[in-house]
Amino acid sequence: MGVETSSAWQALQLHSDSGMGSVHLSKLFQDASRQENYSLELSDVYVDFSKNRITQETLQLLIDLAEQQKLPKEIHRLMTGEHVNDTEDRAALHTALRALGKDVSGYAEVVQPEVEQVLQEMAVLTEKIRSGHWRGYSGKPITDVVNIGVGGSDLGPLMITHSLQTISSPINLHFISSIDGTQTSNLLRGLKQETTLFILASKSFTTIDTLSNAETAMDWLKECIKDEHIMFSQHFIGVSTKPDKMTEWGIPPDNQLLFWDWVGGRYSLWSSIGFPIALKIGMDGFRELLQGAHEMDQHFATADLQKNIPVILALIDIWNINFLNIHDKAILPYDARLRYLPAYLEQLVMESNGKSVARSGEAVPYKTCPVLWGEVGPNAQHAFYQLLHQGTQAVMCDFIAPVERDDFDADSHTERDESLRHQHELALANCFAQSRVLMLGDDAIPQALKASFDSPFKHYSGNQPSNTILIRTISAKTLGMLIAMYEHKTFVESVVWEINPFDQWGVELGKLIAKETYSAIKDKPLADSFDSSTKGLIDRVAK
Amino acid sequence: MRITVFGCELSGLVTAGSLAHTGNEVIAIPVGMAKAEDLRQGILPRDEPGLNQLIISQVKEGRLTFSHDWSEGIQHGEIYILSMPSWRADKAELVVESIGQSASRDVLIVNQSTFPIGTADRFEAAVKLAFSQRGLVAKVAVASMPEFISEGSAISDFSKPSRVVLGCESEEAIAMIRDLMRPFNHVTDQVKIMSTRAAEYTKYAVNALLATRISLVNELANNAEHFNIDIEEVRQGLGSDSRIGFSYLFPGCGFGGPSFAADVQSLVGTFQSKGYDADLLKAVLQNNETQKEVMFRKAWRFFKNDLKGLKIAIWGLSFKPNTATVDNAPSVKTIEALVAQGAEVIAYDPKANDAFKEYWGHKAGVTLVSEMYEALEQADALMILTEWRRFWSPDYARMFELMKRPVIFDGRNIYEHDVLVHHGFRHFGVGRGEVV
Repeated sequence: MGVETSSAWQALQLHSDSGMGSVHLSKLFQDASRQENYSLELSDVYVDFSKNRITQETLQLLIDLAEQQKLPKEIHRLMTGEHVNDTEDRAALHTALRALGKDVSGYAEVVQPEVEQVLQEMAVLTEKIRSGHWRGYSGKPITDVVNIGVGGSDLGPLMITHSLQTISSPINLHFISSIDGTQTSNLLRGLKQETTLFILASKSFTTIDTLSNAETAMDWLKECIKDEHIMFSQHFIGVSTKPDKMTEWGIPPDNQLLFWDWVGGRYSLWSSIGFPIALKIGMDGFRELLQGAHEMDQHFATADLQKNIPVILALIDIWNINFLNIHDKAILPYDARLRYLPAYLEQLVMESNGKSVARSGEAVPYKTCPVLWGEVGPNAQHAFYQLLHQGTQAVMCDFIAPVERDDFDADSHTERDESLRHQHELALANCFAQSRVLMLGDDAIPQALKASFDSPFKHYSGNQPSNTILIRTISAKTLGMLIAMYEHKTFVESVVWEINPFDQWGVELGKLIAKETYSAIKDKPLADSFDSSTKGLIDRVAK
Repeated sequence: MRITVFGCELSGLVTAGSLAHTGNEVIAIPVGMAKAEDLRQGILPRDEPGLNQLIISQVKEGRLTFSHDWSEGIQHGEIYILSMPSWRADKAELVVESIGQSASRDVLIVNQSTFPIGTADRFEAAVKLAFSQRGLVAKVAVASMPEFISEGSAISDFSKPSRVVLGCESEEAIAMIRDLMRPFNHVTDQVKIMSTRAAEYTKYAVNALLATRISLVNELANNAEHFNIDIEEVRQGLGSDSRIGFSYLFPGCGFGGPSFAADVQSLVGTFQSKGYDADLLKAVLQNNETQKEVMFRKAWRFFKNDLKGLKIAIWGLSFKPNTATVDNAPSVKTIEALVAQGAEVIAYDPKANDAFKEYWGHKAGVTLVSEMYEALEQADALMILTEWRRFWSPDYARMFELMKRPVIFDGRNIYEHDVLVHHGFRHFGVGRGEVV
């Protein structure tokens, strides 16, 4: 018996069945003060969730559900380092990584010294590389750093550094992730061995994707470097929870940055996995990122559920998914710097909550994680927005935009800055227009133009729920707040659904079978026992 | 003639002293930090051979005076000479403004400073505008006569010039300047007359060409060693070609100084700001920055990428011999790189120790010594970064005795490989010696 039979869940079901399930947003917006009552703000982050099909009663019932699921207690368990990842019997202490020694208790407090220790080791390496004093084998300063990692060891640093691209950096950063060699061989063609440093980032240091790319990088270095000791000491830095495995691979202890098994891969950008971020923006910038996330953590841990941004956003998702039957979610940033945010959130959300078995071990009879995807909004307007406006299934959307650009001086009126300002306003106008049309549908059409929309093909039914999240600027601090917000929102959903968001057993079997399949590609008879489709495919590629 | 020189850096002082020496009445006006009373007594901002005596003698004979009074200078001069560092263009602007506001007769300004192309035209227009606003009818000309003096030989560079580049559009002004320069131009006529813009461009172009030549020779030298070729033999072959010649053909650990690279950089900036190409010059400057660390890189490789705790002796800190200046010197980058790797540096320079100390501040890692052999005690290696004469023929036996490891990184190619090997040294030069 799960949450679906509980009184709070049933109350929401009744609420939906008795009218709220079919109410139109344009009707709810007859209340002129709606925006005031359905928005929250925390320093540089403003969240407008008014364009959802909810009333104060809906919110109250959702809060009842959260309380019934003992959410405050679960938040406390999460942040004090209890073993909330029960299938792997470990904590999920990403919040401890960004506490910077403050406001922590329990195991989260215990780990503070080692967290700070690694931050200081990161600072030393960061300073050495950024100042040009990390030298390649020939004595030239390192100019290019290549992060080899996949999943959490790739997406977080890639997304943050891309988002902060307007900050100039003395180091050119590159990211390699995919197991096929294309990225690697394309990239290496443009780099020089003597000025290139590789970061091998792998939590387990056994990830085949990462190690196979690392082998390719090593072969490339060996074209120029005869002395293996020098190659490892000047051209590789390892980031992992497994120092022994790094040492065995060849990375000297001074070039190792550690993190811990209580850091989940998709929650790891706050740990030494974030080293490329520090290389891009400096260690002070990295600490600002942590500080921003910590501010959101504190809000999450202490704010009333009614005023708690991650909690409210999660509960609205629950309402949309479980009571309004909306199973798709689009992430729509209105600034191309946030281009990798959808991919990052795909992993964070779907790897966390894409599960159908409750903590109890029983299958859940209700929907959990929605299919989540996204794209830079202005580009997506020319692609899949057609479906958002006129498709057969409902999609909930998160619109995300910076209020201002801070990559130029506010008083500057050069032509370049004026056109940036102009384009920024255009992007915001599009952002606000899209969420308005999705909400109102035909009701958004100005009276004077009604006649020209009088056609079944020009009909917009509207009533698509969305959130609009405004951050003051795109900065280390606001990104920290934004990502922490989504992390906690994901956690809150898992608490309601009674699933463990911190394991990912679903990805294990495929890795195992890939090994077996690889053997069969190398030695065809091994495929004899496979299904005919797989056998046929292997036949086409095996030599 | 009555001359007013604005600017009392090296070029201004040499100009003022030399013009006074040939009989002109000169007022020199410092526009930077220098003080008239110091200059009067021969207390100079630069330690330039012969300059101190020249200034003192001309002050004594009454033809040279120093003053901070601009209006006195403006009343005095028949010719105004602007002689300031390139980064003082704002001061020059003020001087020109003052001339426009208070001069009361024909104006001839000769600009020696390296200011952006078009500056002379702009100054001329500014004075003319000020005159017309004042209702003053007088002739105004601004000429460009770029200085080509080098530290260490500044006085003879001025008084025995290989050529005088004079950009001027007014015949009358040309005649006056020719007359002013006559004592320095009497053997053969060395004055090249051109447009003011061409003269301004010529100054930049000379530096650009010389910088390119040095960087090219350095690149040839760096690669020669990979083919076991001694660049010195190649240099002889190159220089004896009459189309090429020998000057600026020495490979080494890069060029420095307060203005040389800065002028080329400024030219690159001028090109790029207009959207034009400067690919070659950008590469030249980049190449030179890399070359400044060439000796560091050799030591890095020789010591197997580990310099921690090693004692590295350095001979020569100034950007070239006979100067006390370390601005943009290879020594600065090299020492920063060595100390960042945990090496301990013991450095000696005949003149530039103080300048280096001022630059380095209280950071650890560097000891400056006042005697050249003192730097060598227990040293793991010696680096030559400036070719001061006294380094050319040292007491090899004594060096060998003092050093912990007999290893010499010769950044100026002043030693013969065979001689050093004979004395028991490992020797690494730029395109010569052992390869690492």
